[in-house]
Amino acid sequence: MRNLLIIAFLSLGLTGMPAGAATTSWHSLAPAQQEALAPLSRQWDSLPEQQQHRLLKTAKRYPHLTPEQKKRFHGRLEAWSKLTPEQRNAAREKYRAFSKVPAEKREQVKQMIRQDQEVKTVQSASGVSAAATSSDRD
Amino acid sequence: MNTNINPPNNHSRDIAPEHIAQLLTRAAQRLDDDTAAALRRARNAALERQSHREPVFMLSTGHSMRWLMPHSTHQWVAAIILLVAILFGGLSYWHHTQETDLSHLDAAILTDDLPLEVFVD
Repeated sequence: MRNLLIIAFLSLGLTGMPAGAATTSWHSLAPAQQEALAPLSRQWDSLPEQQQHRLLKTAKRYPHLTPEQKKRFHGRLEAWSKLTPEQRNAAREKYRAFSKVPAEKREQVKQMIRQDQEVKTVQSASGVSAAATSSDRD
Repeated sequence: MNTNINPPNNHSRDIAPEHIAQLLTRAAQRLDDDTAAALRRARNAALERQSHREPVFMLSTGHSMRWLMPHSTHQWVAAIILLVAILFGGLSYWHHTQETDLSHLDAAILTDDLPLEVFVD
């Protein structure tokens, strides 16, 4: 009987691993955490506990970021939190795969993406459609 | 007193082992059938015991393994607790590593110089 009790107790301990952390309200967060996760202040309380837990872990890196990285972090946080878990996992896989590409090729790809982004920005700013741009070039 | 004890020892020390064997063989030949049969039985029994002792490695290994096995309820409980603790420690470590890895990856995606849309479908 005593053995069973011990085993049951230990099993409970195992099932109660960190994955099941309780939901944390925005007001109970530390100032440093609030600063890192500021763009999510309004929707924080409605986020699933698993996502809160993951974001809090990620936010621990915020103080070590450069001002530019902090800006990007804040700029992308809301869009990131709105993704489904599957989309986030897919993005992680893509990022992981991209990180394994040789540095030289990675830089080429980055350059192409930047150019594409610049074109899109210019197009959206001038209000000219992509079709019109291509016909002008022809 | 000493003369009764010491002489046979001194004497046996002087006799060559081969001579002792010959004496024993000759003496055995003079034994009656019952004594010879009893000696044969004793010899066979001794050989039987010897043959059981032959697989020394197997038996000694088994013995040491049995020594490692818990013998009482308390030892069983302690062994189970130890096993569960090792399992728990391993799982916690694995979980922590996974978490750290994911948070590192998320921070990298959120701060990379490439926009988020590149990685999101």
